[in-house]
Amino acid sequence: MNSLIPLFVIVPLGSAFLMAILGRFIKGFGKFLTSFGLLFLTGLSLYFIFNSQGTLVYKVGGFEASAGIPVAIYMVIDGLSKLLLLIIALIGFLSAFYSISYTKQYTAERKFYILFCLMIAGMNGIVISGDIFNMYVFLEIAAIASYALVAFGVEKEQLEASFKYQVLGGVASLLILMSIGFIYWQTGTLNIADISTQLPTSGAFIKFVSILFIVGFGLKAAIFPFHSWLPDAHSSAPSPISAMLSGVLIKAIGIYVIFRLFFNMFPISYEIAMTITILGTLSMLIGVLLAIGQWDVKRLLAYHSISQMGYVILGVGIGMVVLSKGGDKTIAAFSILGGLYHLINHSAFKALLFLNAGAVEYRTGTRNLKRLGGISQKMPVTSATSFGAAMAISGIPPFNGFFSKLIIIIAAVQAKFYLLAFFAVFVSIVTLASFLKVQKYTFSGKLKPAWEKIKEVPFSMAFSMIILAGLCLVLSLLVIPGIRDIVLKPAVDVLLNTIQYTTTVLGK
Amino acid sequence: MIDLRFLIFLPIAVGIFLYVLPESIKIVKGIIALLVSAISFFFAYKVFLLEPQIINIHCFLFEKIDKFFVFNVDNLSKVVTLFIGFFGFMFVLYSLSYITKKKKIISYYSYYLMTIGSSFGAVLTDNFITFIFFWGLLGLTLYKLIKGYDDESSSAAKKSLILIGASDSIIILGIALLWKIGGTYRMSGINTATTGALAIVAFISLVIGSLTKAGAFPVHSWIPDYVKKAPASSSAFLPASLDKLLGIYFLARICMNLFELTQWATMLLLIIGSITIIAAVMMALVQHNYKKLLGYHAVSQVGYMVIGVGLGTPLGIAGGLFHMINHALYKSGLFLTAGSVEKRTGEEDIENLGGLSKYMPLTFITALICALSISGIPPLNGFASKWMIYQGIIDFGNGSGLASRLWVVWLVLAVFGSALTLASFIKFISGIYLGRRKKEFEKVKEVSILMWLPQIIIAAVCVIFGVFAAKLIVPAFITPVSGAFKEIGMWDSQMVSFLILVSIIVGFIIYLIGNIKKLRTEDSFIGGEKIQEETNYSPLEFYKTVSKFPLLAFFYKKAEKKWFDLYDIFTKIILWFNNLFSKAHSGILSTYLIWVVAGLIILLIILI
Repeated sequence: MNSLIPLFVIVPLGSAFLMAILGRFIKGFGKFLTSFGLLFLTGLSLYFIFNSQGTLVYKVGGFEASAGIPVAIYMVIDGLSKLLLLIIALIGFLSAFYSISYTKQYTAERKFYILFCLMIAGMNGIVISGDIFNMYVFLEIAAIASYALVAFGVEKEQLEASFKYQVLGGVASLLILMSIGFIYWQTGTLNIADISTQLPTSGAFIKFVSILFIVGFGLKAAIFPFHSWLPDAHSSAPSPISAMLSGVLIKAIGIYVIFRLFFNMFPISYEIAMTITILGTLSMLIGVLLAIGQWDVKRLLAYHSISQMGYVILGVGIGMVVLSKGGDKTIAAFSILGGLYHLINHSAFKALLFLNAGAVEYRTGTRNLKRLGGISQKMPVTSATSFGAAMAISGIPPFNGFFSKLIIIIAAVQAKFYLLAFFAVFVSIVTLASFLKVQKYTFSGKLKPAWEKIKEVPFSMAFSMIILAGLCLVLSLLVIPGIRDIVLKPAVDVLLNTIQYTTTVLGK
Repeated sequence: MIDLRFLIFLPIAVGIFLYVLPESIKIVKGIIALLVSAISFFFAYKVFLLEPQIINIHCFLFEKIDKFFVFNVDNLSKVVTLFIGFFGFMFVLYSLSYITKKKKIISYYSYYLMTIGSSFGAVLTDNFITFIFFWGLLGLTLYKLIKGYDDESSSAAKKSLILIGASDSIIILGIALLWKIGGTYRMSGINTATTGALAIVAFISLVIGSLTKAGAFPVHSWIPDYVKKAPASSSAFLPASLDKLLGIYFLARICMNLFELTQWATMLLLIIGSITIIAAVMMALVQHNYKKLLGYHAVSQVGYMVIGVGLGTPLGIAGGLFHMINHALYKSGLFLTAGSVEKRTGEEDIENLGGLSKYMPLTFITALICALSISGIPPLNGFASKWMIYQGIIDFGNGSGLASRLWVVWLVLAVFGSALTLASFIKFISGIYLGRRKKEFEKVKEVSILMWLPQIIIAAVCVIFGVFAAKLIVPAFITPVSGAFKEIGMWDSQMVSFLILVSIIVGFIIYLIGNIKKLRTEDSFIGGEKIQEETNYSPLEFYKTVSKFPLLAFFYKKAEKKWFDLYDIFTKIILWFNNLFSKAHSGILSTYLIWVVAGLIILLIILI
C-alpha cells in the first residue's frame, strides 16, 4: 500500500502534462481527465482512510536511512494527511465537474484545467511530503498556479487582486524559505521527523523561527492581521477556483502546515500555543465583523473564510494550550476534534457557497446583492442548496456546522476559556445574520423584473451543488462516536501524541 | 417504549419524504400530513398515560450513541407532549383548506411535520445535546413556514431566525457551562444553585433562550413581525402555541429542576414578566393590523406565564403552566379566526373591516369566546389561570425578601395588564365583526368546514377548560407537575357557569315570549342626516387618544424608532464596527504590507 502514496502527486502532475500536450488535439480532453483523475484520487484517499492504520511512509528512490540519518525524500501519510487528501480530492472533483459547464465562458479552457491540476498536485504534495523543503517546493507550485487562476478572467480587478496576492504570497514564501534556512543551519537536516529530534527544546532560536513560520504560513492561511489579500483574491477568481481556494487551499497550504509543524516538529510551548489561539480568535471576530456589511456576495464569503478558519484555529489552539500545560488530555482531544471537524465541514459548505454564488453569477451576471432578489423561484436547486450551506455555516442543526461549533464551544468551556467560548457564540450569531442577509437579498423577496427570464444552471453545476449539499448533511454523521473513531480520531491522535510522528516516521 | 420512537421520528421521517415529493400533489401531501399528525396525537396521548420514567431507546447501529437517546417522561413533559399532539392535529386540519396555491409556501407540510417531531424530541429528551439539536431545528422550520415572496415577509423571516438562532447559540453556551458545573449532560442529573459567576451566567443564558422562544420582553420583537406576514396557520402553530409550550416548558425546567432559584433570580423573572405584560399590551392597543395586534398580545400574555413560573411556589407554577396551555388554546383560536377573515376578505386592517358577524357567524363566535378568554372574563379558561396567578402573587407576598415585599407591584401590574387586554380586544371584536356592514363584504361567506371545525373545537376546549378548571382540568394536568397547593381565594367555576347559563336561558325565554313582533331595526340616528361612509364610527379613533398622552407619546415614538428592539440595537452596533474595520481595508497594497510587517514585529517583541 505504501507504494500507492506517490500517486497523489503523480496523477495530477501527470494529467497536467498530458493535457498540455494532448489537449491541443483532443477536444474536451482536459475537462474529463481532470474530473476522472480527481475522482480516482477521491477513491484512493477513501481506500486509505478505511483500509490503512497508523502512519505509512514511502521513501522516494528506496534509500534507507544510513546511520540513523534519513537520506531519501519521505512521503508520509497519517490520519491527518488522509483527511486533507480526501478533502482536496473530493472538493477538487466537485469543482472540476462544476467547471465543465462553468468554464465555457472562457477562451483558454485548456489552460484552466492544467493550472487546476497543478494546484491539486501542489496541495497533495504539501500534505504528503515529510520534509520541509519539499513542502516549500510544492507550496510554490500550488501558490503560483493559484496566482494564475485568480487572474484567469484577465479583467482589471482580477489582475489587481492577483497582483496583491502575488506580492503578499511572495513575502510569505520569503519568510518561509528564510526560516527553513535557519532550521537547516541549526539542525543540518530537512526531514520533519529528524528535525524534531535535533531542535533544542526551548530558547530564543525556537521562538524566532516559530514566529517566522507563523507569519509565513499565517499569510497563506489568511490569519489576522495577514489576511488582507484574501477578500480580493477569493472574490475575483472564477467561482470553482474560489471554492478551491477557500474550501481547500488555505487549509492545505496554511492551516495544515501550521498544525503539522507546531505539533509534530517544534516542541509544544505555551507562548506559541497562546499566540496561535489568540490570532485565531481575532481572525474569527474581525473576519465576521467585516463580512456582515459586504454587498458583493463573493467578498462576503471570502471574509467568512477568514472567520471560519479562526474557529478551526481556536479549536486546535485550545487543545494545544491544554497540552502545553500538561492538562487533561481528553479535553485537548475533544477540542482538537472540534477544530479538525470544523475544517472538514468548512471545506464542504464554503465550497458549496462559492459554487452557489458562481451559479447565480453565471445566470444573472452580477454578484451585487442589491441588484439580486427573488430568484429562488427561477433557480430552485441553487436556492435550496445555498440555504443548506448557509444554515451549515451558521451552525443550525441538522447541518454539519452545528456539531463542530457545538464541540468547539463545549471544549472551550471545559478548558476554562470562557471568554473565547463567548466569542465563538457571538461570531456564530453574526454569521447567521450575515447569511440570512444573503438569503434574503438573493433568493427571497420579490422577483426583480430583470431576472424574469433566467433558468436553472446546467446539469454539471447543479450536480456538484447537490452533492455538496448532501455532504453538508451527511458530514453531521461524523459526530456519531462509531464513525468518528474511523475518520476523525486518527487525525486527532496525530496531533495529540506529538512525539509519535517522529518515532514512527524514523522507525525508532 | 416503541411509542416514543414513533412519536419523534415518524413525523420527521415522513416530513423528509414529503420534501422529496413534487409540489404539484399538495392535497396528497396534506392528507398524509393529516394522517401522521393524527397518529402522533394518538401516541402523544399514550405517552401521557405512562407513569413518569426514564426511557432508553436503542434504535441505531452504534451502541455508543444510546446516551443521546435517553428520554425523560415526567409529569411536566408528558402534559406538554399531549398538547403538542393536539395542536399539531388541529392546525393541519385547518391548513388543508387554508394553504392553497396562492400562499406559495414550498414544502409546507414537510416542515410542518418536522416541527411536530422536533417539538416532541425537544420536550421529551433528557440529554442536553439532543435537546439543543431538536430545539435548533424548530428555528429552521419556523423560518421555512413563513418565507414569502415579498420584501416584508422575507425581512420578518430573517429577523425571526436571527433572534431564534442567536438564542439557540446562547443556550449552547449555557449548556456548556452547566455541563462544566454539573459534570453531566443529563438534564435530570443537574440541580445547581444560582450562586457563583458561572452558574449565574448559565442561568441567564438558558433563560434568554427560553424567553426568546416564548417571546418575552426584550427578546420578543420577532413575534409581531412574524405573525403579521406569516400565513395564519403558521402563526397559530408556532408563535402562538408550540413556541409558547416549548419556551415555558424550558423555563419551568430551568426553574424547577436545573436550578435552585435564589431571591434575585425570582426578582429578575418577575421584573421581566411585568414589563412584558405592560409594554406589549400598550403596543397592542395602538395597532391597526389585526394580526400584529394579536402578535403583541402573544407577547403580553407570556408575561403572566413568566411571573407564574418565576414565583417558584407550587401555586404560581401551576398558574403559569395552566396559563401556558390556556394561552396556546385561545391565542391559536384567535389566529385561526384572523386567518379565516383574511382569507374571505383579503383585508389586514381593522379599519377597513366591520360587521362580519352576520356573514361569518361561526368564526365570530370563536373569536368572541377566545377574546373574552384572553381578557380574563369568567368563567372562561383565561380567567381561571390568571386567577391562579393572582393568588400565587398574593401568596408569595407572605414570604420574606425584597421580591416578596413588592408583591403589590406585581399584582397591580398584572391586573392592569389584563384590563388593557380587554380594552384592546373590544377594539378587535367591534372593529372586525360588529359595527355597520360594509357593502364590499356582502358576498363574504363562512369558511369551509375544515377551517371552522378546528376553530370551534378550540373555542369549546376554552370553555371546558374554564368551567371545569378547578375540579377536573387542573388536577388532571397541572397538579402532578407543580405539587399540591391550596388556593386562597374562593371560586366555584361550575356553579358560576351554571348561573350564567341559567341567566342566558331565562333571558332568551323572556326574549321569546316578550313583545317580539314590535321589534324594529333602525339605522343609527345622527340628527336626521343621511349616514355617509366618512361619518362611520370607527373603533380605532377611540384608541388613537392613547398614543397622545404626554408620557406615553414619548414611549410610542421611541418604540416606532425601534429603541426597544434588541435586534435593531445590535444591528446598529455591529454595522458600526463593520464600518470601522472596512475603512481600514483601503485596498492599497503598501498598507497591507505594513500590517504584515507590523504583525511580525509585534509578535517578535511580545514573544522574545
